[in-house]
Amino acid sequence: MSSFEPKIITFLCNWCSYGAADLAGVSRFQYPPHMRVIRVPCSGRISPKMVLAALRKGADGVWISGCHPGDCHYIEGNYYARRKFTLLKEILEFNGIEPGRLHFSWISSAEGVKFAEVANRVIDEVKQLGPARVFIKKSPEESAA
Amino acid sequence: MTILTIDRTSWNAGLDRARGDYTLVGSAWDADCLGFRELAPDEYPNMEGLLTRLSPKGVVFPPSQIMMTCALKPGDVKQNIYVSEEKLPSPRAVIGIRPCDAKALSLMPLNFDTGETKDPYVLNAWESCTWIGLAVTEPLASDFSTSCGTGPFDESPLDVLLVDDGERYLAKVITDKGTAWARSAGFETEAEEGAEALIKTKKEAAERAITSAISFDRIKEKTVLELYEANHWQKTTFACLNCGACTFACPTCWCFDIQDEVYEGKSYRMRNWDSCMTSLFTQHGSGHNPRETPLQRTRQRFMHKLKYFQDKYETGIMCVGCGRCIEQCPAGIDIREVCKTMNSQA
Amino acid sequence: MNRYTETIQTLAAKLLETGDVKTVLGFKRGTFPLTTEPFLATTPADTGELYWDVNCRLNLATYLKKEMGKVAVVAKGCDTRNILVHITENRIKREDVVIIGVPCTGMIEVKKATEMAGGDILYATEQGEEMILTTAGEEIRVPKAQLLRQNCALCAHPNPVIYDMLVADPVPVQTGMDRYADIREIDAKTSDAKWAFFDEAFSACTRCYACRNACPLCYCPTCFVDESRPQWVGKGTDPVDVRTYHMLRAIHCAGRCTECGACESACPMDVPVRLLTRKMEKTVGDRWGLEAGLTLDARPAQDIFCLDDPEEFIL
Repeated sequence: MSSFEPKIITFLCNWCSYGAADLAGVSRFQYPPHMRVIRVPCSGRISPKMVLAALRKGADGVWISGCHPGDCHYIEGNYYARRKFTLLKEILEFNGIEPGRLHFSWISSAEGVKFAEVANRVIDEVKQLGPARVFIKKSPEESAA
Repeated sequence: MTILTIDRTSWNAGLDRARGDYTLVGSAWDADCLGFRELAPDEYPNMEGLLTRLSPKGVVFPPSQIMMTCALKPGDVKQNIYVSEEKLPSPRAVIGIRPCDAKALSLMPLNFDTGETKDPYVLNAWESCTWIGLAVTEPLASDFSTSCGTGPFDESPLDVLLVDDGERYLAKVITDKGTAWARSAGFETEAEEGAEALIKTKKEAAERAITSAISFDRIKEKTVLELYEANHWQKTTFACLNCGACTFACPTCWCFDIQDEVYEGKSYRMRNWDSCMTSLFTQHGSGHNPRETPLQRTRQRFMHKLKYFQDKYETGIMCVGCGRCIEQCPAGIDIREVCKTMNSQA
Repeated sequence: MNRYTETIQTLAAKLLETGDVKTVLGFKRGTFPLTTEPFLATTPADTGELYWDVNCRLNLATYLKKEMGKVAVVAKGCDTRNILVHITENRIKREDVVIIGVPCTGMIEVKKATEMAGGDILYATEQGEEMILTTAGEEIRVPKAQLLRQNCALCAHPNPVIYDMLVADPVPVQTGMDRYADIREIDAKTSDAKWAFFDEAFSACTRCYACRNACPLCYCPTCFVDESRPQWVGKGTDPVDVRTYHMLRAIHCAGRCTECGACESACPMDVPVRLLTRKMEKTVGDRWGLEAGLTLDARPAQDIFCLDDPEEFIL
């Protein structure tokens, strides 16, 4: 398992968490290179189908990060996002996708340290679970067999 | 043609013997749902004569099928060249199919073999099958097969017709294919002389038990436009939810959709069941959709089954009266009523 | 004949005669045992076809369209909650719809009736609290309560919540039932057991979309399963595609679903689709204390938020 290099699709909001990733970088805070960052205008932009798409295509984990409540550039986008995330998390876990594959966080653009910390934590948890197994679209050949 | 008698106690042993030459296909329970599919080596077909939820069309026309594949990796000599994934199926014995379902499948070459164009996937699968039907002795309330050019004992689409006779099956071996299967299974005891008459009596009893019927003679006489523009459609199609329940359950609905799926450097060209009930079915690339409204789509289904098919092929309507759509329609639409309306004088 | 039928016919005839509405949306008797068919009455003479019994499983809110003009609709408790959701979502205007409310004693499940009868049902009649099921061999009497759909057996809102007229006095409302016992049972399983459970439960799904089309909430002009740029979900019978569809549909309906059960009743393959929508319903109740379709001044759960919504799962 130690050789397992997970792929983690990371959705970062443009205004806070993406800035935090930048800050973590220029400040040389260390975290492993397992994340594939997708910059979105707001955590509220993220639809559950995007998260499912990432998992279906073989992501071992998904991490979504936005501005702290009250700090949203669009005033309230992350409040709606919070409700969507609640439902998404519940339905995925209910269907048997392990809880440790999906992570959410609020990280402001000043929190480079937190960004590295959370990144390490997310990667650790996904690593412990091992490669994604169940919710992956297989090749049509395999699925027909 | 011979009639064999097969003791129930030797039935399974016979099937097992035939497994050497044939893959067995039959109805089997999956959870709460009775389906029609290839059987596992230790599995025997359900012979209770129950109506399977979906028709057996999946035997020759699977819900999802890989037609061809192509490599996408740069440098591969076959990059972007589709290669057929057609596999010649091994001989299959389809055990216990309802005669009317077999009739439906026997119509498939009309659509999949035009003479000029042959669909190898369907035709080869169809050709690989030996059709061993089980006569329906207790027809359901939704059965109206006798008025659709077939019936509970229809032998025409079969290689062997099995008739349940208590402790034994009477097997009417109709074709050479059927003889080959019976020999492979080791069924060779000829039935007594009165067997033919016994089958006839049972046939008549079963046909009498079917009380509902449709007629479509006037549909044939009327013009397409007369039927198409009739003013009852608003009412007839109102309840339809435009789901695909009827089309997927139907043994004579063979429409499909071709989709490309890409997976790790390989492209798969797939054929999936499709339904004329969905608006996507007729959506053009331009955005135009000739069957945009639910009414148009529902009308299409009935016109196709009861009028266009009848006109084009002269083999009757594209319905064998199995009754699945009546039982499964969530909105309670009954094809017999629709046919009656279309066939009415007005 | 169910005692509601006559009242529905009378009310509908009156509405059409006075010209208060252009059409009345109701059910008519099905041609097959244990079925009904949605029906649009346009003249007072049509209203004789209107019908009510324990087989009115569909939710007529599905058939309500803006372009229908002023329409009266026959609606059970759960259906009225759905109409209310439609009004809050600006699908229809309150003043455009006359709601003929039906205090509901529950709809029956065909599968249960067939199992109980042990054969092909030729006739089925409702008599008081009993169903008389006739097969070729015999006639059996079964208490209706034993045949109810699960959502009806666990129903907390049998009486219309919004209506212009009622066909009868409100029926007693049951309390104290455990609505989510089966959901908690699944919750308690391990992740792998959950996956395996649903893999089997959804294995029969043919993607006919009867559940989606029967659902009044599924009115998107283009459903995500039909989108092609990008294509979110494959069109075949791959189990991951099937699961994607059902999970996303459940999320889309979360906070709007009123447990009318039309999806599951419509399913020709008996797929337990409501397990997912009820998981969402439970979540919406547990986390935000909301229940869909009860008052006109409440917005759907995903359309609003509280500053202090629970967020213990967010790092």
